Amino acid sequence: MSQFNFFQFGVPTHIVFGEGVASDFSAELARFAMKRPMLVCDHFLRESGAIGAIRDGLLQSGLHIAGEFFDVAHPASVRIVKELAFEAREQNADSFVVIGGGSVMDVAKAANILLTHGGDLVADYSGAQTIPGPLKPLVAIPTTAGTGSEVTQAAVLYDESQGVKLSFVDDYLRPHLAVLDPLLTLSLPPFLTAATGMDALTHAVEAWTSVQSNPFSDALAKHAIHLVMHHLLPAVIDGDDLDARKGMLTASTMAGVAFDHAMVGVTHAMTHAVEAVAHVHHGTANAILLPWGMTYNRDVCADRYVELASRVGITGKCDVDTIIQQMRQLVVELERKCGLPTRLRDVNVQKDQLPKIASLAAQDGTTVYNPREVDEAEILKLLEQAW
Amino acid sequence: MVYFKSSEELQKVLGGFFQLLGQHPQLGPKFLHSKLVVRFNYREPELSITADCTGSNVIITFNDTTKKPEVEMDMKADVAHEFWIGKINLLVALGRRQMIARGHIPKILKLLPILKPAHELYRQYIESFSL
Repeated sequence: MSQFNFFQFGVPTHIVFGEGVASDFSAELARFAMKRPMLVCDHFLRESGAIGAIRDGLLQSGLHIAGEFFDVAHPASVRIVKELAFEAREQNADSFVVIGGGSVMDVAKAANILLTHGGDLVADYSGAQTIPGPLKPLVAIPTTAGTGSEVTQAAVLYDESQGVKLSFVDDYLRPHLAVLDPLLTLSLPPFLTAATGMDALTHAVEAWTSVQSNPFSDALAKHAIHLVMHHLLPAVIDGDDLDARKGMLTASTMAGVAFDHAMVGVTHAMTHAVEAVAHVHHGTANAILLPWGMTYNRDVCADRYVELASRVGITGKCDVDTIIQQMRQLVVELERKCGLPTRLRDVNVQKDQLPKIASLAAQDGTTVYNPREVDEAEILKLLEQAW
Repeated sequence: MVYFKSSEELQKVLGGFFQLLGQHPQLGPKFLHSKLVVRFNYREPELSITADCTGSNVIITFNDTTKKPEVEMDMKADVAHEFWIGKINLLVALGRRQMIARGHIPKILKLLPILKPAHELYRQYIESFSL
């Protein structure tokens, strides 16, 4: 699929996986020069008590917790990043341990830029490859299985002063250590399990068909698709199904590495626009739009989709429409099991907002990685069908 | 490979090409449609070129510190040359840190399809220079 004769691949993030590993990863911590981490999570996680064992583990590892920061509201914003960086500097922190989903991680990743290099977050660092050198150690502990932010080089932040979302993309943003503990995802409610799981699936599918895919990202994307297709429904039906939780957490991180290299495409372009116009949850929008994004790319990706047959559970002869139908069926099943919306109108998108969404989608940066040129009029037709 | 021996030569070649692009009957209007102010900061040799697409004509200025760009791109002058002849892909160059992009990345990425025909134009344009 890739149009390039060149690719590069690297996973500088050390990944450790295990039941209960979040309460003791001292062996991995020894790799990094950190003594005073700033602990970052949101209020919900703090109140759930989930961070107690992690905090204890860090203390038993001989670390001193420099400070704890919980004021991470959604969306992740420039203001919150500046507050966290200020607090980390005040507390003389030398590293970060961040626990949570994608927004919390993005906040900590961006605050690490300011703690390490100082400067003005937006003027100096928004963009690509703007960070002048390595950052202080950052440990990422995901509590959802979807964003893959624990291994990616990106952070997306809302800038209140301009009213826009800004991207920060840099090799140095990849966390130093990702601690994957499936026990932390057991408490994730069915709806969020479904929405974040569909986010992971969308990352994998779009990495698979991206013009920037490469053999390494392909291998990860393909297996991530297999894992999601086998484990998402069981994880939604029974949140205590540890095997399903393990499969989903692994899939999410694998998809994260895949799309960190290959990038994403038209589904994400539409999702970003739906988020901006109608404030819909990222994973939920991806869940609704993935089958439509696949439909958009159907003619240019037919062979590529058919290659996924065995990964999505289809045996025997199959064509591209069967694959897309299989994805659609998964979304329908998720609606049945946990009420995950299947239409844009279900998430309060108004029909008269669709032209604006189509226009924003056509301008989204992800469109350059999509295998088919993204045409605003075609996208509008697709959105009307998805509505 | 050093393509440009001095800032003056860089300004003459690349600066001239930017002016050509801005006045191009097909490409010029597309740049104006972007409504962007983009600055390219070159090193080895040093020069900055600012393309202001906010008015009715594309205005090219050199070492301009008065205009506030929405997007800035930093690179070696050689990288710029190899980009324009089509040897270097922008996405790959960003991935390899051969280019740095400051500001709103999607706005730069959206210019890529517009730039496709410009590569051939540049190859023809530089035939008159001994690079």
